[in-house]
Amino acid sequence: MSSTRFAPAAAVIAALALSATACSTKSNTDASSAGSDGVKTGPGVTEKTITLGALTDLTGPYASLGKSIVNAQQLYADQLNASGGICGRTVRITVKDHGYDVQKAVSAFTETEPNVAAVSQMVGSPVVSSLSQELESKHLLTFPMAWASTLLGREYVQVVGSTYDIDMINGVDYVVRTAKLKAGDKIGHVYFEGEYGENALAGATYAAKKAKLTIVGQKIKPTDQDLTAQVTALKQAGVKAILISAGPRQTAALVGTAAAAGFTVPVLTSSPGFAPQLMATPVGPALEKMLQVASPAPAFSADNPAMQKLAKDYTAKYPKDLLDPGVVSGWNAISVLGEDLKAACKAKDLTRQGIAAAHRKQSRLTVLGVPLNFSDRTKPATYQTFIHKPAKKAPGGLANVEPAHEVPAARTYTLPKG
Amino acid sequence: MIKLTETVLNGLALGSVYALIALGFVVIFKASGVMNFAHGSLLLFGGYVTARLHDAIGFIPAVLVGAALAAALAGLVQLLATRGLRGAEIHTLTILTIGVDVLLSTELNRQVGADYLTMGDPWGADVTRLGSITVADARIAGIVVAVIVIGAFFAAFRWSRWGLSMRSAAADPEAAALMGIRLDRVRLIAWCVAGALAALAAVFLAAFPAPGLDRTTSQIALSAFPAAILGGMDSAVGALIGSLVIGLTAAMAAGYQNELSILGAGFSDVAPYLVMVLVLLVRPTGLFGSKELTRV
Repeated sequence: MSSTRFAPAAAVIAALALSATACSTKSNTDASSAGSDGVKTGPGVTEKTITLGALTDLTGPYASLGKSIVNAQQLYADQLNASGGICGRTVRITVKDHGYDVQKAVSAFTETEPNVAAVSQMVGSPVVSSLSQELESKHLLTFPMAWASTLLGREYVQVVGSTYDIDMINGVDYVVRTAKLKAGDKIGHVYFEGEYGENALAGATYAAKKAKLTIVGQKIKPTDQDLTAQVTALKQAGVKAILISAGPRQTAALVGTAAAAGFTVPVLTSSPGFAPQLMATPVGPALEKMLQVASPAPAFSADNPAMQKLAKDYTAKYPKDLLDPGVVSGWNAISVLGEDLKAACKAKDLTRQGIAAAHRKQSRLTVLGVPLNFSDRTKPATYQTFIHKPAKKAPGGLANVEPAHEVPAARTYTLPKG
Repeated sequence: MIKLTETVLNGLALGSVYALIALGFVVIFKASGVMNFAHGSLLLFGGYVTARLHDAIGFIPAVLVGAALAAALAGLVQLLATRGLRGAEIHTLTILTIGVDVLLSTELNRQVGADYLTMGDPWGADVTRLGSITVADARIAGIVVAVIVIGAFFAAFRWSRWGLSMRSAAADPEAAALMGIRLDRVRLIAWCVAGALAALAAVFLAAFPAPGLDRTTSQIALSAFPAAILGGMDSAVGALIGSLVIGLTAAMAAGYQNELSILGAGFSDVAPYLVMVLVLLVRPTGLFGSKELTRV
């Protein structure tokens, strides 16, 4: 055996050893120190700035949503900084695009994590799942742009607003009341495979059982474009209403196909299932006629000063962009984080643990007119849902039809374990 | 019965759009031996051109321009492959098409953004009622146009000089070249035809009841892939039959999802591939694919 055969192996071992030490020097990010103003600071906070991280999708399947979320959060940061920032510090957001690729997301996270105080948005359930251990161990308060109730119960991952299952429980109640459904009726549920669809289905199934209805489920994939077969099956089953937990494209395909088949039953989706861009397509009129959207926030056209101000400011800053549900989600998350930072500043503790502790004390926070309570991490911040209707002329393409409501079933429902 | 009729009609409508795409795959494969992975983005490109132009020049001219530009782009890819990479192995060219697909789809995604581009087609959201069955007019138009275009294609393939050259080039490229057939030109035309067919398919994919063309439309080209393989990659008739089989299988499996629930939810996504695998087990070259004979 010649020694040359050992050379490559030795090189690999040396490289591994080096990278291992490189990792170990990085993990020491919890060190905190007090600044000259007596405020304790941690990673991402300097004398002059507070840096927040944003892990988003600007090039993948959720690019349009990602862009709206980033825009809305930047708008909030600009307004906050214009009014003096937090503890005399400017708030900055470091945005990293992962294109809905978990591998890219993990490397982007590793790169930004040492220099951020909290994460104002993390797009993609798979991304959140793969990083959740890391977020807990680094004490990094993170706002996922996903609303499955399986994400609840963690100290540092915070879903803002009602969850998919709660939205569906309230939504089914609305459909039962307005479509006058009776015990024994059937309702269809077309849902995406994965966390979003299955969490919504869990809520819908519970609500249906309470109202003595039967759910006819149709599972689809995000790549499905044509829902004719599903509509035919639901029509044949004689469903009186349809729930859909999928993307805007699938909602439009479902409503368009049902309308074409003369099958005009009420259809209800939650906010990820709608986009204002749909209103300009041939399906627009059918959507206006048949669709309802269960949403954790009021519509932009609602008689709500906070929503109207957001609509006005957003359109002024981004005149070319539509007011889609991403604007609300982004704004909601960063508003909560902004309040957390203000509270942490007051407590003179801007370390990661300080921010998270301030967050957990928020039990009566109102964002965009919705009261939120974050004191119990195992429960959704709100159990209320608004019902909207598509309206071509309304800003954001939606008009309020029912103010926030909460049905008793939402509280008796057992939240699934994450 | 109504459900069965509606499901079969859906399957046929879906199958005829798949056929336009699968024929493109087959024509390119037959002429140049390359599997064109850029087909999805060519489709999106043709649809995008149509969507952008219909307001200014009307629907029919916009479709024609869309088809022409998609044909030109496909031709350009072929020119790039033959001129730039002359002598390269076929699998190198196949991988080249993956590269083209990445480039093209990235740029188109940027252009389309979050929009749903409407095609401006005359059928809009109109429907036709046949007894108790309701079908979207755009669907019927899709079937009719696909039948006419595919018929014209088969006629050209069977009787035109290009068809003859194409068939001989596919049967034996060397002999064809020796007989004075210009292989480059035959291939160029094949790519152009495939591009134009894809652009046409895009129009019907984006028409009602779909909301319009968006960045995910190109993914449908992948569904036509099992259709082409099932029929036999080098058979145009096979592509047609394969597309109808796949379209019907997908529609049936989704339409009878509850009856098939014993096989698991979401079976309709798997069904086309299952059919493909079963057919390939019995006939490894597909339903109509030519058998490879090698004397050792």
